[in-house]
Parts: sequence; C-alpha cells; structure tokens
Amino acid sequence: MNQHDPIVGRYVYVQCQGKTYRTYYEECGEGVPMVCLHTAGTDGRQYRHQVCDPDYYNNFRMIAFDMPWHGKSLPPKDFYLMEDEYKLTTKFYAEFIVAFCHALDLKKPVIMGQSMGGNICLELALRYENEFSALIALEACDYSPGWWIDALHHPHIHGNEVVATSTFGLMSPESPDEHRWETWWLYANGGPGIFKGDLYFYSVDSDFREHTSKLSGRLPIYFITGTYDFACTPEMTERTAEKVKNSECIIFDGGHFPTSEDPAKFKQVVTPVLKKILALNHPEWRSGSSTSFSDGNRSQTQLGSHGNARPAPTSGRRVIDL
Amino acid sequence: MSRMGGRKAFDLEWVERWARQVNEDRRLPVIGRFFSGRFVLGIDDTDYLIEVNKGKVQKIAEGLAPNDFGFEFALRASSVTWGKFAQQVPPPMFNDIWAMAHPLHRHLRIDGNAMTFWQNLRALTHMLSLMRKA
Repeated sequence: MNQHDPIVGRYVYVQCQGKTYRTYYEECGEGVPMVCLHTAGTDGRQYRHQVCDPDYYNNFRMIAFDMPWHGKSLPPKDFYLMEDEYKLTTKFYAEFIVAFCHALDLKKPVIMGQSMGGNICLELALRYENEFSALIALEACDYSPGWWIDALHHPHIHGNEVVATSTFGLMSPESPDEHRWETWWLYANGGPGIFKGDLYFYSVDSDFREHTSKLSGRLPIYFITGTYDFACTPEMTERTAEKVKNSECIIFDGGHFPTSEDPAKFKQVVTPVLKKILALNHPEWRSGSSTSFSDGNRSQTQLGSHGNARPAPTSGRRVIDL
Repeated sequence: MSRMGGRKAFDLEWVERWARQVNEDRRLPVIGRFFSGRFVLGIDDTDYLIEVNKGKVQKIAEGLAPNDFGFEFALRASSVTWGKFAQQVPPPMFNDIWAMAHPLHRHLRIDGNAMTFWQNLRALTHMLSLMRKA
C-alpha cells in the first residue's frame, strides 16, 4: 500500500518590486493560515514535520514557501544580468512575504519564521502590523552580526559542504542524528552564494536595535530560542524581547533549527504558543477548529568509547609517527 | 591514561589517543580523502603540529620546529575551552569549532591560512569531534 504525505505543492506567481517570481509552496490544512519562513540558504522543507502533522494542520492552514532563489522557486528570469552578487535586503524580504500572502489571499495569517525568518518578524511588525495576527519568531533577535563572510561563497571552497557544515554546530548535540543530518542535507542543497546572500540581510541589513522599542505592541510576538544557538544566543533573544511590547520569550534546550532538527521537542515548546494564538480567535479567520495538540518525545545521540594509548618518549622534542 | 580526576590533561598522549581515533574512523578516508597538510592544535601555550595525509594523521609533534616548514592553519584555544569541546555532550557555544571561533564568542582563534581551514571544514569538523572519544 502506498504511503503519501498529506502535503500538496503548488506554484504561485508573486509580483514584487516590478518582477514576477514563480514561487513554490507546500500546504496542508484549512484552518487559521500560518505561513512558515525558512532559514537562510534553504527552503520550506525545513517545516515538513509541522506541515504534515495533524496536530498542526487540523488547526492551521500550514503553508511553507520557498523564497525566490531557494528550493523550487526560481531566481528572476534576468538574474544572469545582475552586476552584483545576490544579496537579500530587508525591504525586499518583507515586501515579498506580504506579496506572497496577498497572492494566496490569506486573511490575517500567522507568520512563523526561523533564524532570518525570525529576524524579519521585527520588520513585519514595524511596517506591516495590520497584515498579520501573530508572529512566532524562532531563533530571532534584533541584531545578529558576523555571518556575511566570503568563505561561504568562494570558488576555492565547496559551497554546499561548507554552508551545511558551518551551520551544523548551531544544532543541539542532543537533537536526533537523523534530523540533524537531514538539516545538514537541506543546507547542502542551496544555490551558489544564496546562503551568503541571505546572510547579508541577517548580519548586515537588519540591525533592528533602534526600532524594536518602537513597535506598537498590537501584534503579539512570541520569541523562541534554543540554548545551543551560537548565532542568536538566548541572551540576544532575551535582550530583544525585553524591548518589544506584547512579546513573550521562551528559551528551551535545543538549537537554531528547531522545526527540522528536533520536531518532537519543538512541538512541545510551541504548542502552548499555538493555543494562545488560536485563542485570539481573530474575526477574519474562519471559525471551527479546537486545539488538540499532543506532546512529542525527545531522542538522544549516543557517542562511542575511547581507544588505547601507548607511552610517549620522555625527553627532547616529542614526535610520534603513526 | 593522562587524565586529571576525570578532566583530560591535553598532553601529547591525549593528542595521540585522538589521532588514533581519527585513523580508525571509517568515514574519514572518504570525506577527508582530499585533506592533506599540516595544522596546529594550540592548547594553552603548547602548539601540537598535526600532519594529515588523505584524512589520516601521519604525525603529531609537541611544539614547532624549523624543519616542519610551517603549517597551513592553527586552531588555538585554552585547555578549558578544549575541555568543554571534548565533553561527550559539549555545552552550548563550545560544541563546534565555528561556534567557538565566531566573532560573537572568540573562544578559539583561527590563525594562518583560513582558506585551507574552510576548504576542509567537513572533514576537519568530523576529525575534531572524535576528541569526544579520546
């Protein structure tokens, strides 16, 4: 008997800044619209566990789309004429998210974004607060420097492997191996220079420290950050959340890619937030669903034992040929 | 076994135990087959030269000497930092080389030719993770 995931994938044409983008998205469910934003250099597959989980899709219309240049979404058709390398800007990113939601005619969607998708929530709250009903900002803060580096896009360096490996340590060593390595694989799938170009937004063009305290607070923001996130540490998220009115901050034992590196743990952490969001019962949402979230289980990695040693030379410069 | 009350001593014997773990690993001959060169593992004030050929450690040496003809890159950190990195379950911010070296944290310094470091990051990351077995 065949087994299928309940996800359906489609392409929608999104107009943004005078160009048309053939944009891939996957969805499941018919409840409150929830648009999931992937991290830098990857695509919507990072949310496959959530989009396929009835605890989510029985309450939300789960939608994960691939940004232009990512996954199955194409670059603009004239990309080969660009005179600069790919760089994601705050303006384009925010405008594209809004344009995508309009293209699908979504009413007051919830945005759940991770890493750069979490940071952009601060811009969405500042410029587009009336478009959304709530924001879930995973691994997010108002300033995350240090990642826009040439090693991530250089002809002498294997971009796929270095991108995937440089982000591997952002995950908790206690997240299940199979999910950590799937996350690695998703990172290794990106186009040349796209991870680095996204990090232009993440580390250079998104210093929101001046405007976090200007947010009105009408749009609730839920910050969730894992302890192993070395790009956006728990302290960085806490400092940001302290400045944002009508926000909550949750720190949990996990890493930078909670949706893909440990979906069961993530469900435990995010479920109370989802219940609060459903309780908002926004009039523009369709009525119906009630919450019925179950808690997941966590796994642990197993490491091996150590090997043998032999006595070392006792004098002079010690050298061992192996 | 050079351990100090359960805490690793990070002497040449420990480096050798780690190197033998590297050489027994079954994945490094594939993911590290293009990783050849010399790098330095700096622990407190001691530099250990690590000579790698096709993903296997050929030689380790305590301290540097003129006849080494230098090295490509060096990873230098305190024994406290390496101690955290080498724990079975390392604590946050110490579980990964790039995490420790990242400008936000600077627990570890990358000296020398960082190009070689980045080119071999996948094999190197796996190699160093085997410290948790040493």
